[in-house]
Amino acid sequence: MKKTAEVIIIGGGIIGCATAYYLAKLGRNVIVLEGSDHIGNGGSSRNGGGVRQSGRDVRELPLVMYGIKNLWPTLSEELEVDCEYHQDGNLRLGKTEKHRDILTKLANNARGVGLDVRMIDGDEVRQINPYLSDEVICASWCPTDGHANPLTTTLGYYKMARRMGVTFISGEPVRGLAVVRGKIRKVITPNNVYEGENVLVAAGLDSRDILTSVGIDIPMTNSLLECLVTEAQPHMFDQMLGTAEADFYGHQTKHGSFVFGGSSGLERYNKDNGMVSNSSKTAPCICRGIMKYFPDLANAKIVRTWAGWMDASSDGVPSIGKVDEIPGLYVACAFNGHGFGIAPAVGEQLAKLITTGVTDVSLDELRYDRYKAKI
Amino acid sequence: MNSVNDRTRDIGPFVPMDDDDMLICRCEEITKGEIRRAVHDGMWTLTEIRRYLRTGMGLCQGQTCSKLVKGIVARELGISPAELEPATSRVPMRPIEMKIFACEACEEKEAN
Amino acid sequence: MRRYDLIVVGAGPSGLSAAIEAAKRGLKVVVFDENEKPGGQLFKQIHKFFGSKEHRAKVRGFVIGQQLLDEADKVGVQVVLNATVIGLYQDKEVVVKIGEEVNHFKGDSIIIATGAAENMVTFKGWTLPGVIGAGAAQTMMNLHGIQPGKKILMLGSGNVGLVVSFQLMQCGCDVVALVDAAPRVGGYGVHAAKVARCGVPFYLSHTIVEAEGDEYVTGVAIAKVDDKFKFIPGTEKHFDVDTICLAVGLSPMSQLLKMAGCEMEDNPKRGGQVPICDEYGRTSIPGIFVAGDVSGIEEASSAMIEGRMAGVVAAEYLGYTDETSRDKELTELTAALDGLRQGMFAPKNRGKAIEKTEEGIDISNNLLKKGFVADDEIERFPGVTHKVGIHPVMECTQNIPCNPCQDACKKGCISIGNNITSLPIVVDGSQCINCGMCVASCSGQAIFLVDEDCGDGTATVTLPYEFLPLPEEGKKGTALGRDGKPVCAAEVVSIKTSKAFDKTNLLTIRVPKEYAMKARFIKFA
Repeated sequence: MKKTAEVIIIGGGIIGCATAYYLAKLGRNVIVLEGSDHIGNGGSSRNGGGVRQSGRDVRELPLVMYGIKNLWPTLSEELEVDCEYHQDGNLRLGKTEKHRDILTKLANNARGVGLDVRMIDGDEVRQINPYLSDEVICASWCPTDGHANPLTTTLGYYKMARRMGVTFISGEPVRGLAVVRGKIRKVITPNNVYEGENVLVAAGLDSRDILTSVGIDIPMTNSLLECLVTEAQPHMFDQMLGTAEADFYGHQTKHGSFVFGGSSGLERYNKDNGMVSNSSKTAPCICRGIMKYFPDLANAKIVRTWAGWMDASSDGVPSIGKVDEIPGLYVACAFNGHGFGIAPAVGEQLAKLITTGVTDVSLDELRYDRYKAKI
Repeated sequence: MNSVNDRTRDIGPFVPMDDDDMLICRCEEITKGEIRRAVHDGMWTLTEIRRYLRTGMGLCQGQTCSKLVKGIVARELGISPAELEPATSRVPMRPIEMKIFACEACEEKEAN
Repeated sequence: MRRYDLIVVGAGPSGLSAAIEAAKRGLKVVVFDENEKPGGQLFKQIHKFFGSKEHRAKVRGFVIGQQLLDEADKVGVQVVLNATVIGLYQDKEVVVKIGEEVNHFKGDSIIIATGAAENMVTFKGWTLPGVIGAGAAQTMMNLHGIQPGKKILMLGSGNVGLVVSFQLMQCGCDVVALVDAAPRVGGYGVHAAKVARCGVPFYLSHTIVEAEGDEYVTGVAIAKVDDKFKFIPGTEKHFDVDTICLAVGLSPMSQLLKMAGCEMEDNPKRGGQVPICDEYGRTSIPGIFVAGDVSGIEEASSAMIEGRMAGVVAAEYLGYTDETSRDKELTELTAALDGLRQGMFAPKNRGKAIEKTEEGIDISNNLLKKGFVADDEIERFPGVTHKVGIHPVMECTQNIPCNPCQDACKKGCISIGNNITSLPIVVDGSQCINCGMCVASCSGQAIFLVDEDCGDGTATVTLPYEFLPLPEEGKKGTALGRDGKPVCAAEVVSIKTSKAFDKTNLLTIRVPKEYAMKARFIKFA
């Protein structure tokens, strides 16, 4: 089994797979270590499929805008898999004046960095999506947002990277890293030690423990989010949807099913039993949320629900880039539940960063060491 | 299970078979050939096959095809089917209308 | 939240048995079942069960189902039907869809008794309408009163395939062939024999090549397979059928246990994905128990005992009984279960090729290959003797745990002894009074009363007959041999029905005396 490479990526999620793919395209020799038995087993396969810009913090907007402009439109052809990418806009819905305030503020901020997003009223919302209930009084509308299939996209990156010679090893949880002669070098698992000139930690929530072994801390906590999917329904609409309160979000897939994520308000306090298990309270709550917006879906059958741990940072924005104090070490974690849409851009830019030391989009605002005390 | 699985292991080339067009997952209409091809694309666990192709994600939740898919994947990988962990079981065990899932019996009614 | 001492999921034989034992010891018990009728598979089981008295032998499955329900009701078990358990969450929370809402319940203990689901096999055309599971056929016939088809081919010679083939014929279907890729009949020989003597040909080492038809099944092609299960070219056979029944095994429905976080294993001997549990059904999670097929495929008789064990264990877990009485009960139940898990079909003998009976008699190879005991093999079994006058002929040739015939004969003509798997013998010097109780008591329909020489050149054979309509006395037909082929002309001499026979009718036919040991069924034109 191969144990040395130019780059070792820890985490076989979409960030790890995408970075591996773009590194392979640049001719790099890569090993990806996935801790679980399955590629893309964390947030990559458990999210709502949003490929959106609106609603994001301005610090991560340039990166996702870059990806939507340059990478997403051709991704299916590039990965030889149907990523089911739809760029039909995102409606972020509001039902109260308070919601309108939240949405207006987000939209104004995003316009400040050049995103086409505007506030529309209830009637205009229903012109775009006639299935929405009269309770909806406003929305932010970003026509360049969209959605895609996180499962085929993640596994598509994996497939192509593997085809281009990247070594993927699953069931290999990383216990720690080691610095040799002032540079990152070793990646330690229960039974093996891998060595690389560069190491990227992209292991979601586990990144914190892994980085601790070399004295780096990225303040993160976890939160258990849930999604559900209906049986296939006749085609209704193509937009991505969200709400001001984030009580649900989702879209109708190419297959016809609706994928919706949502929250009960208890996410931060939910527990698991060693598996990532659902709370009995969440899915019914998501259903109630959806029906307020889409009364027509009341009879749609739910076929599955699932949960996933989200890696939440204190400021809601990921840490992406070089760890200056340890040469050769890179991080990409704490995506706060919106890592899917941004992943192609993150992967491509990290590959460039690792290979050439520079990026097209500045990662300065996403530094790992930006967390400061409040006073 | 969590066992080290080196995805560079040589499983040989994809060889077309006569019955590759046979449906295996009836709900999602996935054929034997698609499943075999996915294994050669690197989908080596039943979970990955399921996520990549949607096998077992239809109304029957894999009740009919999961054993069949397992057999096909195991044969392609040259391992025993028992070595392949079945995909995760998920709520709800049977499809349930959104309006019913949303309607949780209230606590007062339960007092009896 | 509503809380019970015990929540049982599944109102089949094991679930109900568990609930009864627990409720008897004082637990507050609820049973949820997604079906509109309780009893699991029991209400589809119209045949008589094997075993001994303590296993409710010679009682038909649906009657056992009713007995269990009555007993559950008497001890205060609450059975909730049309109640679909949609999830088993942390902290032993069970979420159940009842009517138009979901309900949350907590159990201090939980017994999962969700049973099993049918396996499928693939062949060209397997998704055509008309290809159905044998269990589905049984549901159609016995629960809904619908004939699954007219002309049917059965794939699978295990007990399910054999029992359902017989039921299909009872329901008026024409079973054109019974096919199995294995080289030997998988189920009980007596079940095979009663199908074969009705004229159903057995094709062992054969399997389905193709289900024919564009919109639905119109025919089927089978072919012989070699020892690696590959088709042998040139051996194809075609049958016109409208239905193909698949009886190719069951898989435990263990998803709730996996969902709850129980440690699971893939165990081919138990039928697939099963929870890791001890012999009394304790899983890796304290307070979650299993019983019946969900923890390993067996049959209803053992499922009932496993259910009782789980009920007793749950009672002790919650302090409703002490360890001493629990262990005493478990010892008795273990003995009862061991009693069932004996003989040629015991779990320990699965896959073994047995050549001799426990008595040292060569087994009938014809029975394993063609479904019936050949005329030149039958005489070597101890139940088959010759005597002047009417006497029982017991064509019971395999060691299975079953003994109702011994108790049925009040004259002491039949003996099995203390070893329940022994073949029955005719007791020397005993006198048969032609009461017919033995014929009706045999769950395998393998006992005949024969008068080999009536003095006028004829013989009479009394056989078990479970078909409708019943023929009239004097009706003429063709006697069939054990192989289902015509042997001679025959006439119905008498038809006996009695409550004591429990729906098994005794048909006495008259045949030329040279066919006394050959004629075993009658067909009417």
